[in-house]
Amino acid sequence: MVTRTVDLRSDTVTKPTEAMRAAMATAEVEDDVLDFDPTAVRLEAEIAKRMGKEAGLFVPSGTMGNLISVLTHCDVRGSEVILGDNCHIFIYENGGISTIGGVHPRTVKNNSDGTMDLDLIEAAIRDPRGEIVYPTTKLICLENTHANSGGKCLTAEYTDQVGELAKKHDLKLHIDGARIFNASVALGVPVDRLVQAADSVSVCLSKGIGAPIGSVIVGSKSFIAKARRLRKTLGGGMRQVGVITAAALVALQENVGKLESDHKKARLLADGLNQMKGLRVDPVETNIVYIEIEEGLHMSAAKIVKNLEERGILVMEISSSRIRVVLHHQISASDVQYALSCFQNAVKGGQTENGN
Amino acid sequence: MVKRIVDLRSDTVTKPTETMRAAIADAEVGDDVLEHDPTAFQLESEMAKIMGKEAGLFVPSGTMANLISVLVHCECRGSEVILGHNSHIHIYENGGISTIGGVHPRTVHNNDDGTMDIDLIEAAIRDSKEEITFPITRLICLENTHCNHGGRCLSVEYTDRVGEVAKKHGLKLHIDGARIFNASVALGVPVDRLVQAADSVSVCLSKGLGAPVGSVIVGSNSFITKARRLRKTLGGGMRQVGILCAAALVALHENLPKLESDHKKARLLADGLDKIKGLRVDTSSVETNIIYIEIEEFSGTTAAKLCKNLEEYGILLMQTALSRLRVVLHHQISESDVQYALSCFQKAVNGVQNENGN
Repeated sequence: MVTRTVDLRSDTVTKPTEAMRAAMATAEVEDDVLDFDPTAVRLEAEIAKRMGKEAGLFVPSGTMGNLISVLTHCDVRGSEVILGDNCHIFIYENGGISTIGGVHPRTVKNNSDGTMDLDLIEAAIRDPRGEIVYPTTKLICLENTHANSGGKCLTAEYTDQVGELAKKHDLKLHIDGARIFNASVALGVPVDRLVQAADSVSVCLSKGIGAPIGSVIVGSKSFIAKARRLRKTLGGGMRQVGVITAAALVALQENVGKLESDHKKARLLADGLNQMKGLRVDPVETNIVYIEIEEGLHMSAAKIVKNLEERGILVMEISSSRIRVVLHHQISASDVQYALSCFQNAVKGGQTENGN
Repeated sequence: MVKRIVDLRSDTVTKPTETMRAAIADAEVGDDVLEHDPTAFQLESEMAKIMGKEAGLFVPSGTMANLISVLVHCECRGSEVILGHNSHIHIYENGGISTIGGVHPRTVHNNDDGTMDIDLIEAAIRDSKEEITFPITRLICLENTHCNHGGRCLSVEYTDRVGEVAKKHGLKLHIDGARIFNASVALGVPVDRLVQAADSVSVCLSKGLGAPVGSVIVGSNSFITKARRLRKTLGGGMRQVGILCAAALVALHENLPKLESDHKKARLLADGLDKIKGLRVDTSSVETNIIYIEIEEFSGTTAAKLCKNLEEYGILLMQTALSRLRVVLHHQISESDVQYALSCFQKAVNGVQNENGN
């Protein structure tokens, strides 16, 4: 029996659409290392324009987007970067900024809304008078939306405040904007306004926007020129890369408009799950839903995940009592209903066993 | 008037063919980070099998393939790698093994044929008894074909001997095999036999094989597992990467048989160029698809000038020194393109000679 599969593990699972496949097949290409691939140039220019920055650079992944950005801003030995203790760069990028880039991380506590307290950020900035023992703070990184906090949005006001702080101390500001379009849509703020205070932004095309591969870094012309060189050094200089950037251009056209509906589906799912005894869902702002399994249910996340898998619902186990679900444009409203009924089935076991 | 373009700058300029484009459009894909993209898996397995190694890993570029290979073999702090003074890794990869990977390079002189003398390699291996002041040699790198030395081939006998030196001293051997298939075809040696002595090989798909993007690293299962993790760290973990691997699979099947003809075209062009007064080509050293052209002093022109003149005819090539040009043949250069290029060279050089009253 063919199981219906509803893949809610991440928005990275999105597969290229027919229009993307057609675009890839007919893409105009050139050697992007020897010259400039025209389709890559188009994508980079388009994203830069949307973000209100001077230039852009296509890279194979968000990890490389962030790695290049941090290393380019922190290009002097002995640099330090301030970032959230629960941010993607710090937790899920293999510590590359240090192991590969030699940059020291200084973490500041992430609040549950994805922000860091401004006074704590300021306190973390190294006093130059202590330079004999201190690394030199060069950069502050924000993440919008903030993945580990449940896809929470940083407001334009907050971002601007951090920007001012950075300027005051002669630091740069980088935004890990893997899901920046989700933030822009949820807040109703134009994306260029949202990232105005940032010196650089890394934007994923392979997540909710649905392209098969890649991210774009945006920043000033001089920043991007250095970034291009570092991209080559890391091995991200691809040749006829237009075959991929063509898909990304289609993704931009087709799917930014669908993000609002992803957020609606997430809220629908969250509301439904919250009604189930034994589950508790954190407030949902965009397309990410975190589900807490209450103690009273006496069921582990692993058990629920396995049960769901048998019904074709794929989700991510975060801890023994926490599950994550991510909505994207290839999940239909009917898929959401199906997922809800499967969750209901899965937790019923726990509810009945314990006489609930 | 549409200019006829003959792009001889590199075999990286090859554009995807119709079959590749169709394969890209139909590729079966998955999230290669969360699990394993099926088309990537197919390519990696096939490459590993062809190379006689346990496993493979698709990466965005040859630079990343070499970087990962060196860094995985040299995963301990304080490592040193022995490589040719004129090798691609040392000259054209932004010094990444050091600036990114913290590995120290120990260069040994590359001979004209791309080899390094075995006794010089052995002399460069650090004596670990002196460990207080020495880094620790972990790896030897070879390059086959050798790009800067005119695409010359390292024989299987030479490679085996270097492998023995490596084994004798507890070192690993990595082959930068960007153009390893060119070597295999030119030498008439099956590629797995050619790289038998190596612990890892990096193979380009985007050069003579003509795929739009990428390389594959091959090695043992445990090596590739570490390589996969480092690939993620460097930012080379791509999602639905099957679209690129599908094109690479087509490239492997379609264009491997065309390499011999690229070599023939190179020999044809080399012979013709050597006959032009003012140019000199060491035709005996044209073994594969790369030609270096020396501009004789009496010709009255420079590489830069000649390059520019030829560009006006639509012939694109690379200037590598004041009086040196490089030309690379590939499957999208026809025999008629070769003849056209020759006549343009003739015109361009004659033109200068006429200017100078020769």
